[in-house]
Amino acid sequence: MSKQHLGELEELILLLIIMLEPDDAYGLEIRRALKEHAARTITIGAVHGTVNRLEKKGLVKSQLGGATEERGGRRKRLFTITAHGKSVLQQSRDVKVNLWQQIPELALGNLRIT
Amino acid sequence: MKPNGHHSPQQVEKFLSWLCKPEVIEETLGDLEEYYAEIIEKPRWQRTVLYWFQVMHFLRPFALKKIGSYQLSNHPPMLRNYYKTSSRNLLRNPLSSFINIFGLSMAIGVCIFVYGYSQWVSNIDQFHENKHSVYLTTFFADRDGTLQQNGLTPRPLGEMLRADFASIERVCRMEDRNVVMKYEDQVFHEQARFADPEFLEMLTFPLKWGTKRSLSDLNNIIFSEEMSIKYFGNKNPVGQDIRMIFGENSSKVFTISGVAAPFPDTHAIGFDFLIHFDNLKKTESSYNFQDWGKFVDATLIQVSDPTDIAAIEQNMKKYKQLQNEAEQDWAIASFAFEPLATLYQNSGDIRNSISSPYYSSNYKAQIILSILALILLALACSNYINMAIVSVAKRLKEIGLRKAIGASRRMVITQFLAENILVTFFALLLGLFLAVTVIIPWFEQINDFSMEFRLIDHTLWIFLIVVLLFTGAASGLYPALYIARFDVVTIFKGSLQFGRKNFTTKVLLGIQLGLACLLIVCAVMFTKNSTYIANRSWGYQPVGALYTNVPDYSAFERLKNSLMQNPEVISISGSNHHLGQSHATAVVRKPDRQYEVDQLSVDAHYFETMGLNFTAGRSFRERSESDRQAVIANELLIKNLNLENPVGELIEMDSAKYEIIGVVKNFHPYSFSYAMQPTLFTLAPEQDYHFLSMKVEKGSESEAYATLRNSWARFFPETPFQGGYQEDVWGSYFEKIAMHGMFWRAVAFVAILLASLGLFGLVALNVAGRVREFSIRKVLGANWRQITVTIVKQYVLLFTIALGIGAPLSYFITDFFFDAVYTYHAPVNIFSVVISVLILIVVLSAVIFTQIGIVSKANLVEGLRVE
Repeated sequence: MSKQHLGELEELILLLIIMLEPDDAYGLEIRRALKEHAARTITIGAVHGTVNRLEKKGLVKSQLGGATEERGGRRKRLFTITAHGKSVLQQSRDVKVNLWQQIPELALGNLRIT
Repeated sequence: MKPNGHHSPQQVEKFLSWLCKPEVIEETLGDLEEYYAEIIEKPRWQRTVLYWFQVMHFLRPFALKKIGSYQLSNHPPMLRNYYKTSSRNLLRNPLSSFINIFGLSMAIGVCIFVYGYSQWVSNIDQFHENKHSVYLTTFFADRDGTLQQNGLTPRPLGEMLRADFASIERVCRMEDRNVVMKYEDQVFHEQARFADPEFLEMLTFPLKWGTKRSLSDLNNIIFSEEMSIKYFGNKNPVGQDIRMIFGENSSKVFTISGVAAPFPDTHAIGFDFLIHFDNLKKTESSYNFQDWGKFVDATLIQVSDPTDIAAIEQNMKKYKQLQNEAEQDWAIASFAFEPLATLYQNSGDIRNSISSPYYSSNYKAQIILSILALILLALACSNYINMAIVSVAKRLKEIGLRKAIGASRRMVITQFLAENILVTFFALLLGLFLAVTVIIPWFEQINDFSMEFRLIDHTLWIFLIVVLLFTGAASGLYPALYIARFDVVTIFKGSLQFGRKNFTTKVLLGIQLGLACLLIVCAVMFTKNSTYIANRSWGYQPVGALYTNVPDYSAFERLKNSLMQNPEVISISGSNHHLGQSHATAVVRKPDRQYEVDQLSVDAHYFETMGLNFTAGRSFRERSESDRQAVIANELLIKNLNLENPVGELIEMDSAKYEIIGVVKNFHPYSFSYAMQPTLFTLAPEQDYHFLSMKVEKGSESEAYATLRNSWARFFPETPFQGGYQEDVWGSYFEKIAMHGMFWRAVAFVAILLASLGLFGLVALNVAGRVREFSIRKVLGANWRQITVTIVKQYVLLFTIALGIGAPLSYFITDFFFDAVYTYHAPVNIFSVVISVLILIVVLSAVIFTQIGIVSKANLVEGLRVE
């Protein structure tokens, strides 16, 4: 499992899963948060596809729960990040921070790291 | 909040659970429903679109069911086992196999024949390379309140189109004239086509000899292959001279510059002789090419890009004005262009089209035949389904065993479908054989044409494969599903109830009976109709009437004087037009509207000669000047004009007033496939006489005919005789009607055969399954009457319902069908439906009673013995 790449959407969704309340981290809510925080609109199907992939990679785990009236009494699939997921996320961040730091400030022009 | 009712969540649920893995369904549907609540404020259509957009986006690999779960058992030994059980099963029940295969092959044979016929029909005129860029110019004109399309074109239009539109590449005007051809001592009446030299470049008839360009020379003539053989045998006639006689004083010698290759059998447009259009000046010195008031028979145009045609049609308005100023009686509503590729289909609706309307009736026939083939196929498939369901009893153990050792439901279905495809395949082979050796030759023979059906045709094989799969699926799917449904435990417990009380079997048999009833009613009606048509009154007396063309008045006089000496001649009359041969068209004006009428110019004796009956008024008086302004109308015209006391009324025609002096009964100038037209007679000026007609004593027609021919030969040795018995004018029409009757009787026979085969199979299987029951009944003292009642009882209700629905339905469908096909036909009445139902009942009873006979003779001991 050493070569564990994270796609950009996967990374965003993984972060959102950590951010959201444990009983809110399900498909439609993730889509809403994605729209709000990252200004990206994708279909519910795409969210489900991505979390499904994440689960297969062992980065998140899920359980069913939280049925509500407006869902017609159907349960949600609620996601939580696994320890492995956290470490992959950390790695990804480290790689990027590392890269940012190696870039001379001049080359960035008016882009600045604050 | 629940999604609003119009897309029921159940629908989505069904859709997704059909496609998606069961474990993802719940969360998906939950999210979707929540989403729907979010967008509930949007307009309804937007909501629907958004919602389905989201639903569709769930169809991703992670959510979809694995295709692999459809795994077939494709191991060769298993397949071999399937084949073995299938073929053993077919051989073990030879009777039901025969009924299945034979029934299916009949239906498939008819399908193949219909396919061949459709191919033949849709090949008409398709050999022209420019068929998609050549158009016939037509116009629409208001005639008595309906828009009628007409294939004629104002004379100057062709030239103007050529000059005014850059997108029109070629223009060809055409006119057909009757001429006499003289080559050495042979003289024939012929029809010559005057055409612009582009004719052969637009309609790409290949030439056998000579060149297409030669038509641009005014002195050249191009022959069709048929005519070349008629005049010159198999010799190449190019370079020979031939004289064409246009009229009494005008003729011209042409040099043959080309001969067309044989026309394909499927052509609606052809020609006998082609000469340059400008030769029309020769036939008629006053011929004016610029006269908007006159028409040419056809104008074809060819455009560089077919999409331009709409733009050209848009710009035709100015010609419409020019035309309507010149000829106010015949106001044109609009011009339109008919593509050559589909002209043969539409020519039935176009008056005076150069493409013979005969072919558009073929197009109709093709549709009717296709429906017929489908009906027969449905009959045969129902047979198969019924037999399969009932005979499943014998294979229950096999199915149970297969399931017990691990066959899934899907595998059983596959097995039975494959078996069915095998049966269909045999049926297909037999059907192909039947089509090629029986059905197609028979149809060609009664219609007297050649369909040019060839086996080496890749589309035919594609068609056959489609038929195989379609028939296989249509007939096999239900039985396969039905068979595979049984539960292993119930099978082996032996407590299964099936077949005998199967509802589908009954419905299918009912539908079969209904369809058979429809086809029999059709057959009875077509047969009745051919007698009806044969006995229908023409409205005049063709019996004893003879006619001939005459070149002019002096010829008429000479012929008349010579014929008058025969005592058997009752009357002789001269006319410009003649019943069944020709008429003119005139417009009768009323202040509020105008009526298009057929006009015949005749002499005073014409009514007596042709046996037209007066209902009011009188005939013309001989040599009466005042009668030049008089007309005699038929009843239909009087009815249309709404005249109470027609005699003495004035009508306006050609801007002159005419007085109605008489009314004749309605009559059919042409065959019964043409609707009767409002008609009026005027007194013909003597110089216009083109026909001589005479009435002779009954029984002396053939002598009179001989006398007529002899006198003709004596007076006009140069001109071939063109006349005959009035009765023969539409002789071929009766043959066609009789042929329809013959065809439908054959169809009905096949339908009865299929339905009774199906019933026979069902009854036989039913009886075979109840042998023990009947034996016990007999032991307990039942006589054959009681057994008959037990067997018949189960079918009586079914027959009653099937025929109760089928018979009235057949009545209405046949009525509708006849109205669509024939202008005049025998009235569809209850009587023919009753006859058909009786025929059906007799056949069905015969089928059932043969089985009862077998039961009542069967040995009791055989039936009761248990192995």
